[in-house]
Amino acid sequence: MIEHGPLIERLLAGDFICAVSDENAFRRLQDEQTREQLDTYLRPLNRRLAANPEGSVYFLAWRNVNDEAREQLSQQLGETLHSLLPLLEWLRLVQEALGRDALVAPGDVLKPAEFSAKCEDNQSLRERLEKLATDSFFGSQSEQLDAQLKQVFKRLKEHGYLLQPHADRQVYLVTGKVDYLIDLVRFIRDEENLPIDEEAPTTQEALL
Amino acid sequence: MSEVHTLESRLLTTGTERLALLGKHADALMQGYTRDEVPLEALTDAALRKLLAARILWRPDEQGGVKLSPKVRDLIAEMLADETRRHVNADVAETLELIRSLVQSYREARSRGEYWQQEQQLLRLRQEVDDLNGRFADAIDSLWQRLNSDFGFVSRLNDKIRENHRAQKQIERLLDGLTLIDFDELIDLVGSDGTLRKLLISQLQQQLSQHYTSLREVQRRLTELMARFRQQQSQSRLVAGMAAFLREHPGFVPGNYARRSEVPALVNRATPLVAAAAPALDRHQDAAVLSELIRQLPVPVHSPQTVEAAQPAEQQQESHVAARQQALKQDVERFYLTVVDEADVSGVSALGYLHARELEWQDEIWLFQVIAEYQSLPRSEQRAFRLHQEESQASSYNHVRLIHDVTLTLAISA
Repeated sequence: MIEHGPLIERLLAGDFICAVSDENAFRRLQDEQTREQLDTYLRPLNRRLAANPEGSVYFLAWRNVNDEAREQLSQQLGETLHSLLPLLEWLRLVQEALGRDALVAPGDVLKPAEFSAKCEDNQSLRERLEKLATDSFFGSQSEQLDAQLKQVFKRLKEHGYLLQPHADRQVYLVTGKVDYLIDLVRFIRDEENLPIDEEAPTTQEALL
Repeated sequence: MSEVHTLESRLLTTGTERLALLGKHADALMQGYTRDEVPLEALTDAALRKLLAARILWRPDEQGGVKLSPKVRDLIAEMLADETRRHVNADVAETLELIRSLVQSYREARSRGEYWQQEQQLLRLRQEVDDLNGRFADAIDSLWQRLNSDFGFVSRLNDKIRENHRAQKQIERLLDGLTLIDFDELIDLVGSDGTLRKLLISQLQQQLSQHYTSLREVQRRLTELMARFRQQQSQSRLVAGMAAFLREHPGFVPGNYARRSEVPALVNRATPLVAAAAPALDRHQDAAVLSELIRQLPVPVHSPQTVEAAQPAEQQQESHVAARQQALKQDVERFYLTVVDEADVSGVSALGYLHARELEWQDEIWLFQVIAEYQSLPRSEQRAFRLHQEESQASSYNHVRLIHDVTLTLAISA
């Protein structure tokens, strides 16, 4: 159990463990026996190991969802919803700025400098970034493009969606927490029966 | 025999000449490859005629321009590993037909004892088998290349999906082609001929089984990749759709999943817990470690005094000085009042008063304050007193005068 110490600490601190954020720990978590060991250890803390449906990220859940846990979960849901639109807008912005039609995926490399260059060339992107950066979730106070980008990346790092492997280099990796976010979006859509179509429109497919 | 040799040497000459045409007009031909038509201005009439005769170029219709022939286009695509244009030729049936007839000719030549003919047939047979083998190998290579680059030669996801689809169809055709090769039939065909047996049975069978395995693997990987493409596409749509929905419905609040009897697994995230620890001295063996840690703490060279820390001390000092100053002033004021009360014409000596009252002030400070008090009085009040300074010259060389004492006299009566 002693070798899992740092991993347990990270999990307890609320970190999401994925193949990008900690490859070694992630590999260990894929072993069922290790997971059982951790669960046993976490039992007195009323916590258990949980994963998203695809098993690409691990995090801690309440073992017994008591009143206190429910209270905390309600509050957390509120915060998540508040951050949902800015995060989705960010995903869209990255997609468009980089001219890709797939979303960023865990392991993708993002460089603020690259965005800066794209936004300078494109007024519409620039305006969207400005709007996003000054949203209360990202909370940039600056009017400078670079400062705004810096703040956006900083906040995403704080929230565990990005990882900065070298503190002195402006290069970020997308973590598996993005998967969790998308799972959550899908969950909300299904639960609330929102009219959001995930499948390709058939008419368009027929035209192709 | 000489006829055969002449034929062979003519083939060689013409072939070499025509291959050379490819190099000679490489620029024009490559432009024809990247565009639709070959630019004619780069070619002389004679060159164009030669290229057409060699079937390197062709003219689809009289009015239209000149284009690369499909075989040359394929050749270039192969050489460049240009995955957008590489073709997969899985026409196994025709090759098999050819092999059958070549085997027939080979047998006939052998029975007639025509050794050279026999050799020629065997050579062509070998080439056909190599060709068949090469076509599968090429096709598989092309498929792997496309797979490994995630279909990088097209950028849009929809294009990738279409290319993947196309590749899967090619694999099906290749696999269909493989099933056409019936080794039982080939065994019958080659009979007891050792050379043919080796070429058409053992060698071909081994190669084809390798191709079959590779094709199955590529097929599996393509299917996986397709699933990933589709997933990416659906995720992208999901995010775009949800973002649009939230923008349109700013007041949207989903149900409180935390209040359900069964909390959905995805929203059940425990509160972060910090495993805090502080230095403790209740265990003897830790004391050494802790003292070592303390020793390792960097000693500050200057203990910098922060402004906040210095402030109250300064104020205290200031207030202390102010209080002394105030006391001095009050004592001097009492001295003035005494002068008024006594109304002695001879006046009252300031130092005399100081010593008589046993006040704690230094002579000098006392005198200074008495004079200062007089100077600060309004003119009208100043006139009520007369201040006599008992002074002497400090030295005969300058005019500095020393005040030894002052005498204050009430001047009312005057």
